[in-house]
This record gives sequence, structure tokens and C-alpha cells, in this order.
Amino acid sequence: MRYFRHPGFLIGVILLTLLLIVAVAAPWIAPMSPLETDLANTLAPPSAAHLLGTDQFGRDVLSRLIWGTRISLQVAVAVMALSLSLGMVIGAVAGFFGGWVERVTVSIIDILLAFPGFLLALALVAARGSSLETVIIAVALAFTPRVAAVMRAVVLTIKPRTYVEASRAIGMGTMRLLFLHVVPNSLPPVIVVATVSAATAILAEAGLSFLGLGVQPPAPTWGNVIADGQSFLASNPLISLSAGICIAVMVVALNLLGDGLRDTLDPQMRRSSGRVL
Amino acid sequence: MDRLLRQLSQLAITVFGIVTVTFFLVRMIPGDPAQYMLGDYATEEALATLRAQLGLDQPVYVQYGLYVLRAVTGDFGSSVVTGRPALEEILFSLPDSAILAFAGLVVAVVIGIPLGILTAERQGSWSDMLIMIVALFGISFPVFWLGLASVLLFSQELKWFPALGASSGGGLLTHLHHLVLPAGVLGISVAAYITRLTRSAMLEVLGQDCIRVARAMGVPERRVVWRLALKNALVPILAIVGVTFAWSLGSAILIEVVFSRPGIGSMILKAVSARDYQLVQAGVLVLAVAVVLVNSLLDLAYGLVDPRLSTR
Repeated sequence: MRYFRHPGFLIGVILLTLLLIVAVAAPWIAPMSPLETDLANTLAPPSAAHLLGTDQFGRDVLSRLIWGTRISLQVAVAVMALSLSLGMVIGAVAGFFGGWVERVTVSIIDILLAFPGFLLALALVAARGSSLETVIIAVALAFTPRVAAVMRAVVLTIKPRTYVEASRAIGMGTMRLLFLHVVPNSLPPVIVVATVSAATAILAEAGLSFLGLGVQPPAPTWGNVIADGQSFLASNPLISLSAGICIAVMVVALNLLGDGLRDTLDPQMRRSSGRVL
Repeated sequence: MDRLLRQLSQLAITVFGIVTVTFFLVRMIPGDPAQYMLGDYATEEALATLRAQLGLDQPVYVQYGLYVLRAVTGDFGSSVVTGRPALEEILFSLPDSAILAFAGLVVAVVIGIPLGILTAERQGSWSDMLIMIVALFGISFPVFWLGLASVLLFSQELKWFPALGASSGGGLLTHLHHLVLPAGVLGISVAAYITRLTRSAMLEVLGQDCIRVARAMGVPERRVVWRLALKNALVPILAIVGVTFAWSLGSAILIEVVFSRPGIGSMILKAVSARDYQLVQAGVLVLAVAVVLVNSLLDLAYGLVDPRLSTR
């Protein structure tokens, strides 16, 4: 695999694999329950029993961070799947059918791109209350237009190629053409955008949780742990700092993956994928 | 002139689209805003009254028509909590946010663009590697975490800057003193994006034939990069600034909360927790329009930077 010769890509894959293992094995490797409170032992400094100390309810910070890996990965995967499938269909339809369908879709995409993604998610959560599902839907909706824009650009470059013309000439139906030629060829650049979306989705979820609008406490999300530690920044800085480092590790991994894919793919894609960052 | 008119009509269409989208997005997700605003134990009459007050008892197309008509006259509904018009609330907190966003963007541009050019010039060198690794971490740490970490370091440990507020009283100096940390954090986080994007824009230009010709003709490398290539990369770099403006508005909300500064972000957040969703809707609308306005201005600037684009 040529991808694995890219050092950044390799580091990204290794980091993500480790995080995946942590997420799957959370029940076994977490020293305690992430929700178990111990009011006799609140805000404890790091010790053998609590490697990263405890929070204001005496919950083990390390265990909360380990379980938080699950929620973050869940958000990343769900947002990626949702925005990828929606965005690809919208972009493919716009690029492939052209005409007024394309004009209308493109202007809708442009309008949606004007919204700061985080703000869009914030508005949706504000109107409908916050839960893991709302957060995922909100962030995915914010990223769908970005995927759609890239998908359309790719489809436009594939459409005039000779093999597509040839397939059409021998009577292949539009749908078959789309799924046999257009979709597979557009996957790599779209996946690059999706990786970046997943990275940003994790930051957005953390931001929403930090504002108290994400996954509701006491759920152990990294954003919640940072918010919990904010009031005790002076006395127990480790709570907030360690959770932030967890977020950064996962986002770095996803960004390295995206950079690696982009560099290895057609260098021409560098610009179009860079633009949507 | 023709270009300006076309741009203005495009702007009008986009703003209309934004108004439409803010209306429908909020209604697309299932659930009843009235129920959410009043909670689970609300009586049927209270719900009906609030629905009537918000216009939710009417068919969607009537609601939409009224919403657009009111928006055209600058009426975005009023805050359920304070009873004041939403637009008034927003305009009141706009200056604080604008100052923060502008200061942050200046920091980001001043740091990000030169670093992006420098790394492109020295592609593959250790300084390029180092800067790109720092930039990677810069875009990977949540901006609010960077804010908290800087409070910890610069306010609590070193005591250089105040951690909270925007100093309502006091002179210009105290105001600036309060601005340094939030604008610095916002700027550095956005600078990481700008550095990465500027670097790829420059690398792309540096690969073009005209640059190869200039090098072959013996033009000094310094001049090739900072004069010829930079001139060609200015339009993509301006576009990058436009893209990051939207991003930095989102970050500014979080920064305002971390540093307890007044502003649109704090206002929207307060409105969210009060379930004052008309105010939230109006706030989001105003920020989206701000993004569109900034990008239209940049579009106009493209013509000034690149004469080829102004004749098109």
C-alpha cells in the first residue's frame, strides 16, 4: 500500500487503532466506573488509585477519559457516515444531472456554506434540546454541504471522460453509470473531506459539551470533563488539561490520516480539499 | 460597475437564502419548540398560548411568509426573556464580538500568511517540518482548551494578563490589556489553519510553469517566492482568509465564554439556556450574513489584486 509509506498517514493509522482499542476495551481497562461518585474523595490529586486524580464528585478522571473515547469515536463515525452519504448523493445528483437541478443545489450548498458550522450545530441544538443524537445530526448537517461541494466538483471532472461517454453510448442506464463509474472514482477525494469533517466533528462535539449543550452530564465525554475541570483550573489543572490532550490526540490522528490520503492521491486534489478545510 | 451590480444581486439572493435556511433548518428536526421551551409539565393552554405567540399554530408557509416579510423590515421577533426586539439585543452585543473577531483575524493573518509562505519556500527543511507540526497541533486542540490553558499560564501563574471580562470601565489601555489573551488565543488557533492553507496555495503556484521559467532565467529564489509566486497566490490566500473568517466566528463564541466576555456568542449561549430560540435564530442569521458580507468584500478585492479577474 503506497499510503503506508507516508509517515504522517502511518502515525495517524496507529494512533486511531490504539484509540479504537481503548474505546472497545473501555469496560475492561477503565479502573473504575466513569459514573461512580465518591464524595469522601473529591478533587483528589493523582495517586496510585486514581492516576489522574478525581473530579468534584470524586469520579475517577482516567476512567471518564477512557469511556469518553467511545463517545468521541461514535460521534466521528456517525457524523462521517451521515454527511458522507447525504453529501455524496446531493453532490452526485447536482454534478451528474446538470441544468436547473444543479443550479438550485449549488446555490443551496453555497448558502449553507455561509453558516459557520459550529453555529449551525448550536442553533439546531438550541431549538431541539441536546442529546447525543441531536449533536450528531446537527454536526453532520453542518458538514454535508462541504462533502456535497467536493463530490460535485469530482463528478464534473469524471463526467466528460471517455469511458463514461462510452458506457453511455453502449446504453448503460444513468443509475448504473453513477454507481459503477462515478461513485467509485469519486471516493478518494470525498473520503479526504470526510476525514477532515470527522476531525472537526470531534472538536464541535467537545465545544458543544463544554458549553453544556452537547451530550448531557454525567455522560463521560471529553468536552464534559474539560467543563467539569474549568472551575478547578487553579487547584486541579490536570482534569481539564488531560481531557484536552485526549481530544488533540484523536484530532491529530484524523488530520494526519486526511493529510496522508490527500498527499498520496492526485496532487491536483490538494487545492479542492484544502479549500474546504 | 457591471461586476458590482452582479455581486450585489448575488448577495441579495444569498441573504434571502440564509433567511430561508434559518427558518427551515430549525423546523426540520422533529419536536415542538413550545414544548421544549416550557418543559414537560406545561399545561395544554400554556403550550397553545406560546405556540400562538410564536406563530407556530399557523401553517408552515404562512409562518415562512410572515418570517420573511418581518425580516425584510428588520424585525426578527423579540426575546422571550427580556421582551426587547432581537435585533436590538444583537446590535447591542455586536461591537464587543466584532472587536474580538477582528483582532483575532489580524493576529491570525500576521502570523499565518508569512509562516505559510516561509514553509512553502523551505519545503522539506526542518523549519518547515517544525512549523507544520506546531500548526497541526494548533488546529487539533480545541480553541476553548487553548483558552483555558493560556488563562492557567498567563493569568494564574505569570499574572501578566487578566483572565476575565472586557473591562466595561477603564481607558483604552485596560481594554487592550483585557483583549490580548482572548484575541491572541483566537488568532493563534486560526493562524494554524491559515499557515497550512497558505502553504499549499503557495506550493501549487510554485509548481507552475511561469515560476519554472523565472527560475531558469536566473531570478533570485527570494524574489521568485516573495514577489512572483506570492502575487499569483494572493487570490487563493484571500479566499483562505474568507473561509477562516466563518471558522473564527464559531471559535469566538467559545472564546467569549472561556474569558467571560460580553458579545454575540455569550448572548446566543444565554439565549440557548433560556430556550429563547427566536433570539438564537436571529443571532445565527446575523453572523451568517456577516460571513457573506466579508466574503463579498473579499470577492471585490480579488479584482483589485488580480486584474485578470476584474475583466471577467
